[in-house]
Amino acid sequence: MRSWAGVPAPAGRGETGMILFLQSLLSGVLMGGVYALVGIGLTLVFGVMRIVNFAHGELVMLGMYLAWFLFTRLGWDPYLSLVVVAPALFLWGALLQAAVVGRALHALPENQMLLTIGLGLAMSNAAMLAFTADYRILTTSYSSSGLQVLGLSVSEPMLAAFLVAVGVTAGLYLFLLRTDTGRAIRATAQDREAAQLMGIDVRRMSLVAFGLGAALAGTAGALVSPTYYIYPQVGGAFTLKAFVIVVLGGMGSVVGATLGGLLVGVTESLAAVYVASDLKELVVYSLFLLVLVARPSGLLGKARA
Amino acid sequence: MPAPPPLPASASAPRAGARAAGTWLAAAAVALLALFPVLVARPYPLHMGVVLFLAVLEAAAWNLVGGIAGQYSVGHAVYFGAGAYAAVMLLERLGIAPWWGIWAAALCAVLLGLVVGTITLRLRGPYFVLASIAAAEVARLAVLHFRAFTHGAQGFVVAEPPVLRLPGLSLTFDGKRPFYYLTLALAVLAVAVNRAVLRSRLGYQLLAVREDQDAAHSLGIRLSLVKNQALAISAALTGVAGAVFAGYSRFIDPDTVFSLTDVSVPMVLYCLAGGAGTVEGPVVGALLLVPVSEALRNPRGLVSLGLLPAGSGVVGFVERHLSQAHQLVYGVLLVLIVLFAPEGVAGLLRRLLRRSRARPRPAPPPA
Repeated sequence: MRSWAGVPAPAGRGETGMILFLQSLLSGVLMGGVYALVGIGLTLVFGVMRIVNFAHGELVMLGMYLAWFLFTRLGWDPYLSLVVVAPALFLWGALLQAAVVGRALHALPENQMLLTIGLGLAMSNAAMLAFTADYRILTTSYSSSGLQVLGLSVSEPMLAAFLVAVGVTAGLYLFLLRTDTGRAIRATAQDREAAQLMGIDVRRMSLVAFGLGAALAGTAGALVSPTYYIYPQVGGAFTLKAFVIVVLGGMGSVVGATLGGLLVGVTESLAAVYVASDLKELVVYSLFLLVLVARPSGLLGKARA
Repeated sequence: MPAPPPLPASASAPRAGARAAGTWLAAAAVALLALFPVLVARPYPLHMGVVLFLAVLEAAAWNLVGGIAGQYSVGHAVYFGAGAYAAVMLLERLGIAPWWGIWAAALCAVLLGLVVGTITLRLRGPYFVLASIAAAEVARLAVLHFRAFTHGAQGFVVAEPPVLRLPGLSLTFDGKRPFYYLTLALAVLAVAVNRAVLRSRLGYQLLAVREDQDAAHSLGIRLSLVKNQALAISAALTGVAGAVFAGYSRFIDPDTVFSLTDVSVPMVLYCLAGGAGTVEGPVVGALLLVPVSEALRNPRGLVSLGLLPAGSGVVGFVERHLSQAHQLVYGVLLVLIVLFAPEGVAGLLRRLLRRSRARPRPAPPPA
């Protein structure tokens, strides 16, 4: 798994220590919003199906490529392309669930993980066949423009990505809390059999949950496409980070994943400034391992029976 | 700890004959493979042999932890990479020859295994899998970062190793043949280690851990001790595999030897395809999958074997489209195996064999 080329670092022009700290905190929070989106998608799938989806990052990758494709061929703005990317990924996720993942619902957990690892490999290699291994860049008019807010420079596309991510997350919360389908999804996640006995179509809920998870991943991919290199293996790092986020927040918890996403974004950003920019992921993974040593079921997770 | 319970005699007695036959068959196969380079001198078949034996070595090493102990590590690249870097850096920086470096590689991998194992083996299920991947990524990123020590992304081009002088024999590690024998011997060793472990007290303890950790614990098995023992043996073999790979390919960089998709996943896949937790599984799996992936990676090999005509359009097609994406096959196979043959091909065959054997014998089984 290759590492991904990071977000262009905000221009540091001899700022004082405090400014530097606030600056990196801010860009960490902005990135964290997008990470939260990826993490929520993963935790939703795990909550409803108890399946750990190792192909989650590849769904982010598909979202990036789709946004890139729409931008280069049709000239669509990546934020506009969300109206295509999210539904397309939803359908793709539901299809994967119906055709592949759903069939392994009763397999050994280890085998389920291997199944999704296989799916991820197939997707990233199929992307390689379709788009070659070349790094693609989606350069919009605003890709490198920034705003000045209270002496801090804010990357415009990252700010937009953050705001959309916050909006989508809020919408998802409302959906899960207020709608019948959302309640049914939460009931299925709480107790699959009890939900079934209450007349909930748990297979349909699994389709919806996997579709939603994929749509969230794809949305995140499209949101970061103006600031990231796009290449077939870019998903690997997203998968791993999504897991770190979800484990930190407690598996299956949507609120936990939101907090975990922010935590990972901020940690990464601070590590890039105060440790070394190419060690930011190492710091995140080490933190993850340390957390697991102290709390084997995650930072906010309950001990599982 | 209480003495191990005596083995149930009824379970082992009827299978003893089949086992002895299997041993003879394996010995005959190894003898044939050892004769092979005497008969065939062309480089490609020998290269295939080296790749295949390395795969068997890696798969058998993983089998100890993943198959027998049931701890699905998807981060064994950390030991492979550590072994490769240990051997290469000893040669490059200190001029220590690889046949000593190999031991250092094993030692390095074991030490690393103890550290990683202490952290990760307490975890279960997805947490363990994730932690194992994270550990391998931490190693890869660290090697990439500390350039002064490791050359970073640039990697090492491995110098030609000096001539090994043994009493009555001097070996140059040049060309395919020495590596063919070396990897064959290591593959046999790894399979033998699997067999020995499966028959040992440790093996039974590991099987118990795999089947039910809590039950095993309540029987007095020290979970982290036995799991770490299995990991130590596995890491040593994997480290050796990394060192040999480095010597054979003559080039290493972090993205190759610490790769999730090129090292960690194939090890799991071979085992799973063949049948995890069995002695023959890693061999069967490697035999099935290595030729497929090698043919896709380098279709010209098939031409040199005479399996494809030189001007064949297939070669061009595969080279143009599939050689970059040879892992596509791994991915699809993983999915198919889990869905349709979760016990692996060996398990599938055994099930079929048992069925066909059961039929012609109408006599009632001994009570």
